[in-house]
Amino acid sequence: MIIPIHASNVGASTSQHTFPPQLAQFGSEEVILIELQGSLEAEGDKQGQTVGKLRIDDATKKSTLRIGHHLLEGKLVNLPKPLAVLHRRPSDTAADGDTSMNDADEPDSKRPHAGWDVVVIVRRKMVFSKRPMPMMDRVATMVSMESKMGEGGK
Amino acid sequence: MAEFSLQFSSTPLADTSAFRLLELPPELCKIVEEGLNSPAGPSLVIKGNPDEDAVLCTADKTYTIRSVVLSNSVLVATPDSSTKSQGDADAVVIRDQLKEILELAPSLPRLRRLDALLKDAEYNEGHEDEDGRMSEDEDSAPVLTYAEARETLQASDIELDRGLRDRRVLILGGYLRRLAPSYLTTILELLLTNLVSLSLSHEAASVAELCSALDGHDVSRDVCRQVMAWFGEVADGKWKVNVAAAVKEVGLGILRAYKDDPIAQSELLAKWCSTVGDTFESTVSLDLLAGNYLVQTDTLKDPPVTALAYFPSSQLPVDPAARFTDLFLTRPRWKADEIVPFLADIVVDSKERDKLLLKYTRTITNTEGIWYTARAKYNG
Repeated sequence: MIIPIHASNVGASTSQHTFPPQLAQFGSEEVILIELQGSLEAEGDKQGQTVGKLRIDDATKKSTLRIGHHLLEGKLVNLPKPLAVLHRRPSDTAADGDTSMNDADEPDSKRPHAGWDVVVIVRRKMVFSKRPMPMMDRVATMVSMESKMGEGGK
Repeated sequence: MAEFSLQFSSTPLADTSAFRLLELPPELCKIVEEGLNSPAGPSLVIKGNPDEDAVLCTADKTYTIRSVVLSNSVLVATPDSSTKSQGDADAVVIRDQLKEILELAPSLPRLRRLDALLKDAEYNEGHEDEDGRMSEDEDSAPVLTYAEARETLQASDIELDRGLRDRRVLILGGYLRRLAPSYLTTILELLLTNLVSLSLSHEAASVAELCSALDGHDVSRDVCRQVMAWFGEVADGKWKVNVAAAVKEVGLGILRAYKDDPIAQSELLAKWCSTVGDTFESTVSLDLLAGNYLVQTDTLKDPPVTALAYFPSSQLPVDPAARFTDLFLTRPRWKADEIVPFLADIVVDSKERDKLLLKYTRTITNTEGIWYTARAKYNG
């Protein structure tokens, strides 16, 4: 079986949507890689939901990711070897969608014409390697202060 | 301070597991990068049957693909493709969450299956007249087409072509047929003698003339032309002979008969020289046959006679462990320059070879130099 990998500027980067330079410096204009310890888990339907806020300090080039009450500090890491980001070509039978169990070593036999596009070559990634820090908004602080005081009063 | 809103994909069904990260070795990175900047991309394909480990093939190289599991997870994030903006923050969309990257390691083309596939497709003397009705002949019906071989074998196109040439496989009417070794020797001998008798230069011999000369010996023109291409370059109707390759093949043809019953070195060389003729005699050298013979010294005779036995590395197992077992069954100990030719076809470079030697052999140094012996005496 032969599965082609397409690496040409035809069709690969058709989207005019690109990242602004602040983000592009962490990867490329089309794709950035965000590495997290552990994984992102969400309950229920996560389609299109907001995860958190990603902030980039222009001066220090530091990035922070805030998810709920947790703050992660990120840094820019150069990859030892460049990574090609491959994207599966949408095929006619894409509706069944459930191919998540497939290893790359075992290409799906149900899709003989599946091919992959090299979207871009990435040489850097954004790594959030530290533990999340608890973060309190003013409101949250107030609430917790109150509850603490309440507890103290008892 | 720039602020972005990180979001899950709005099309999770299409996106989940639609991305892969492939680590690129420098030379491949260059190829891909050039491809991304031009409309015609390079030829990159993943090849393999469902029961094999997949390989990645460029036009001329083969890489094994290995999946490396990460303890961290990597989010592949792209700009928001929908134009609606959420407030003033730009959206960053998580398209996929990955737990592995794919690593590539250079590998030899995996062409060993070709031998099994072509077992029944030998082309021998007497097949010449049946070109037109080969498919009707059930006993020797060719089984594999070139296109099928390209589809099933894990090798790049250039490596496949080279592999076919090295295995002396003819492409006749789209089908692959292995040329019988004895017949090949016959054809080559005919070619070499005809070169001389027609007084053609081996730098630029007329293909047409040679073909018609061999036609008289019942060698099909198509076969003749392909054999010429194996042993030299054919361009503009002229054949530039690769003398060393042709002479080597003739030597192999002679040696092949002495598998169990070794031939004296001097006798072999004499036979070889007389077969290739005066013109090419100077090219004859035992080095050409490296990896195809074993040297034995017959001490019973006086003076001791150096004898050679046919022992082709191409018939040894591909798997390093099995190959070393075989080699040490053949001989309990080997000198470095003796064993090296028998490893050449399973390693990419000398570094990998030394690694194998370290892993599978023990070295003993005595007055005669360094010997390699088997590391594990008991296998199993």
